[in-house]
Amino acid sequence: MGDIARRNNIPKKFLDAILSELRNAGFVYSRKGKAGGYSLARPADEIKIGHVDRVLDGPLAPIPCASKTRYQPCGDCDEATCQIRRLMLDVRNAIADVLDNTSLTQMCDMGGPEVLIAETMTA
Amino acid sequence: MSTSSGRLSVTIIGGGASGVLLAAHLLRNRDTDIRVTLIERRGEFGQGLAYSASQRDHKVNVPARGMSAFADDPEHFWRWLQQRGYPSSHGSWVFVPRRLYGAYLEHVLREAGKSNPGRLLVMSEEVMAVRESKNGIETLLANGTSVVSHSAVLAVGHETQPARSRGIAVRVGSERDTPLPADAEVMILGSGLSMVDAWLSLADANHRGPITVVSRNGLLPKGHRDVPPLSIDSADVPFGTSLPYFMRWFRDLVDETKKRGGDWRSVVDGLRPYNQRIWQSWSGHTKRQFLRHLRPWWNIHRHRLPPELHERLVAAVASGQVKLVAAEFVGVERAEGQVRAEIRRRGSSTREKLGVARVYDCGGVSVDVLSSSNPVIRDLVAHGRARADALRIGLDVNEHCAVIDHAGKVTEKLLVIGPLTRGRFFEIEAIPDIRVQAATLAARILSHA
Ligand SMILES: Cc1cc2nc3c(=O)[nH]c(=O)nc-3n(C[C@H](O)[C@H](O)[C@H](O)COP(=O)(O)OP(=O)(O)OC[C@H]3O[C@@H](n4cnc5c(N)ncnc54)[C@H](O)[C@@H]3O)c2cc1C
Repeated sequence: MGDIARRNNIPKKFLDAILSELRNAGFVYSRKGKAGGYSLARPADEIKIGHVDRVLDGPLAPIPCASKTRYQPCGDCDEATCQIRRLMLDVRNAIADVLDNTSLTQMCDMGGPEVLIAETMTA
Repeated sequence: MSTSSGRLSVTIIGGGASGVLLAAHLLRNRDTDIRVTLIERRGEFGQGLAYSASQRDHKVNVPARGMSAFADDPEHFWRWLQQRGYPSSHGSWVFVPRRLYGAYLEHVLREAGKSNPGRLLVMSEEVMAVRESKNGIETLLANGTSVVSHSAVLAVGHETQPARSRGIAVRVGSERDTPLPADAEVMILGSGLSMVDAWLSLADANHRGPITVVSRNGLLPKGHRDVPPLSIDSADVPFGTSLPYFMRWFRDLVDETKKRGGDWRSVVDGLRPYNQRIWQSWSGHTKRQFLRHLRPWWNIHRHRLPPELHERLVAAVASGQVKLVAAEFVGVERAEGQVRAEIRRRGSSTREKLGVARVYDCGGVSVDVLSSSNPVIRDLVAHGRARADALRIGLDVNEHCAVIDHAGKVTEKLLVIGPLTRGRFFEIEAIPDIRVQAATLAARILSHA
């Protein structure tokens, strides 16, 4: 854990919060003790980025009103006629489509700073 | 032996709803020259287990508007009903007798054959085995002959033998389901629609004796209401999570929907298009947890009863004639002209024996294929050409419904349609899902033409 935080330059507290959410959702599990820490609960190629993202960031809504189940009105526009909302709902389904077809393994293969988290966990 | 000529040929084994829907989809595109051989052992096509029900009160549990043979022509069944002058005060939100739906499927098959002269061959025979051959698949019949085609599709549907206590417990409508004295005490095992069938048959025969319904949770299926499904996008659905996380999301959504004046049914129905994806996104552990702890609860909410039937059943429980018992069924034995059923009530560690005139087994139509009574399934499994899925609720198939053998090898030419693919798809019991599977399978088979 400390390792992941250091290598990715993120506060340990923040990482802690993320990992505990992932644990609640069943993507990782934690072990206590000396050899403890977090591990993936499933093989990395079964874990889809979109599935994890919904748990961490909510229902993939680019703007708060663009969600069907977690709808938050903007306050200054009419939902029924708002073209932006309609467009954003399409955007969001396109986002879901890409992310739901990308596994953790595939993301690791892409490289980049996030990889460190994934790699440390898959290792 | 009939051999296949150059043109594309498919043998469909089983002429219940799934077999007929597949045949109809294969023959829909009149440009493709194809030979479809449909083999059914009952002598009647389109009925299968569900739509051969003899009683008028044995109704479908999906409104007519959801029962069209073709997903892209949702009014097809409703139009057929109207042409026959079927009375309905609720428009297409009507629950017809199941045998009438069987007649509709027979009509669909007949039309498919008529508009494709020489392409559809139906045979009333039992299939004993299938073999992979050089030319494709050879289907061996009980009369000693066989049919060769490029591919074959298993549409053999549900297990017909009682899973438990073979020989003593009785299946509703089977030969051993002989008339009972009106005041006899009866036990029914199960909490699903077949249990309701059994109760209905008794009620329609003016049965007055006490009826004890034993199931794991002692629950009754819920009733339908004409409410629209909630509009849900795939981006809203938490795929791939643990079961507790998913259930929290589900319950929250039901609460929010109710707060807005909605109905829980809208949530269950709104999720329907995603059920196969949700199932497939789960880990083996989560699937097992679901089957063990949530399936009965899910089933009573998902597979609902026509409202008037539900009201009758609730009234029968209220009157005391039907008693719901949450218990594990341990076994049954014959004793002095009676049968003695042994159960263990939920939360209790002691077993108790109840003497009744008859036990109806209406439990799980999904049984381990290893104990299948179907000759073709037995043969496939015994020779390692097919295997049970990891959860042992059907046959192991790949994403295209092709059979997977004991070593994990896929036989592309041998496909499966219908409830037997539930290990991979789970939500594949009812017509709205089977017709989509039929369309997908047909497109794939025809793409090889
Ligand atoms: C009691 C009940 C009620 C239902 N009600 C509804 C409903 O209202 N709406 C809905 O959408 N769904 C309903 N369902 C869901 C049902 O599963 C499907 O609608 C449908 O019946 C599945 O059809 P099938 O052809 O796959 O299986 P089956 O109905 O089991 O048919 C399989 C057929 O294959 C034949 N066969 C099997 N083995 C061989 C062999 N070796 N050789 C030759 N022939 C063989 C059998 O004789 C049978 O006719 C109900 C299910 C049940 C059990």
